Amino acid sequence: MGTAPVITIHLPGPLRPYCAGASRLSIAAGTIRAALEHLERNQAALHRSLCDETGALRRHLNVFVNSENVRDLDGVDTTLAAGDVVTFLPAVSGG
Amino acid sequence: MADRVLLTIGTRKGVFVAEAAKARRTFALRGPFGPGVPVYSTLIDDRGTPRLYASSCNPFFGMKLLCSTDLGKSFKETASAPAFPKDDGRALANIWALEFGDRRKELWCGVEPASLFRSHDGGDSWEMVPGISNHEHSRKWQPGAGGLCLHTILRDGDRVHLGISTGGHYLSEDGGQTFRASNQGIGAGFAPDPYPEFGQCVHKIARHEDAPGRLYMQNHGGWADWTGPGGPRPNIGVLRSDDHGRSWRSIAAGLPSDFGFPIVVHPHDADTVYVMPLEPATRTCPGGAPAVWRSENGGDSWSRLSHGLPKKQTYFTVQRDAMTIDRLKAPALYFGTTTGQLWIGREGGERFDCLFDSLPPVHNVKVAVV
Repeated sequence: MGTAPVITIHLPGPLRPYCAGASRLSIAAGTIRAALEHLERNQAALHRSLCDETGALRRHLNVFVNSENVRDLDGVDTTLAAGDVVTFLPAVSGG
Repeated sequence: MADRVLLTIGTRKGVFVAEAAKARRTFALRGPFGPGVPVYSTLIDDRGTPRLYASSCNPFFGMKLLCSTDLGKSFKETASAPAFPKDDGRALANIWALEFGDRRKELWCGVEPASLFRSHDGGDSWEMVPGISNHEHSRKWQPGAGGLCLHTILRDGDRVHLGISTGGHYLSEDGGQTFRASNQGIGAGFAPDPYPEFGQCVHKIARHEDAPGRLYMQNHGGWADWTGPGGPRPNIGVLRSDDHGRSWRSIAAGLPSDFGFPIVVHPHDADTVYVMPLEPATRTCPGGAPAVWRSENGGDSWSRLSHGLPKKQTYFTVQRDAMTIDRLKAPALYFGTTTGQLWIGREGGERFDCLFDSLPPVHNVKVAVV
């Protein structure tokens, strides 16, 4: 099994209190799902803000890989390459 | 410190705290705390050093519970919020009810989808109450316009009354271990059977602490003109029980509408009860002229209280937890509106004044004398 690529997670202001104020996290993950699993293990409070207790991404949250919404790719199974930037952003649909 | 009157005001954009001296002439406002995030439930636990709680229901990032131990000068998140077990399949969508339990730091919490949680450490950890959360009816309950919510928790020793929209009234007599639907006499307007075993859209239940057998209910009324299967269902909206919620009867006769959300009992008289009738189709004040209606004889007759309220062109809604009453000798009624006003009804609702007129839409109001 190869080594997972190192990617950067960019976090908006409201999520930073859940990871000691960090605006960016560098982690190794080959897919969005793997990135979320990494956060569940290592950043539990942040993970609770991104996913509900079933593990599903929260409904009003969008996830981008670079400039592409993963909804238009393969969802949480979207693969990641070294240097990708993953951004979690509130959707405008939330009101 | 002299007694202070403390209000928690949960709004669509955070929780506010208002404070006044006992005379309640003017209130000082602080907040918002949890700014920008809807707050559907607040609680003032005034046993010992007061603790204020507020649900912070973030549509983007999930549910949090805020706690203040300095009379609402600051709030901090508790260590966790209620959450379903991972393999349950349900996910928390909202926190609708907070009540304190017998022991210090014991909290009960009603949520959407309709379930009950309990904490023994002031909200830092939670356990689901399976007797109602996994009740055999629970997968058959349907969401009302506000979602499928458990919004009312009333405790009286080992008796626990729950209000669920739409599920109905559920009663436990063993401290919350087991629950049964207890809806005899409670009508439903949106099902062919006007008196089903469960599935009623109960909006709020209230009672007087010294008369626990007497309960009042604001149910989903407005079905007097129904012409479909089952026929019309007049006056199913405002009800009373005199047997600890085992059976219910209508007390809606005399009201301009049997539709409404909140129902409040006078702190010193179990026969005095307040409702805020709304037009069922629009959920706004009948004729654009808001009024609280009061009964002083347990619902046998009603009188209109509107001195100081607008007389026309007023179309707000008062939501299920947005009306309350304090416990002072001459108690004041308070209600918040979806148009962001907070009103005080002095002397039990005889004279209304607007305390604040430009808050965000108000979801709930609680009061304590601390």
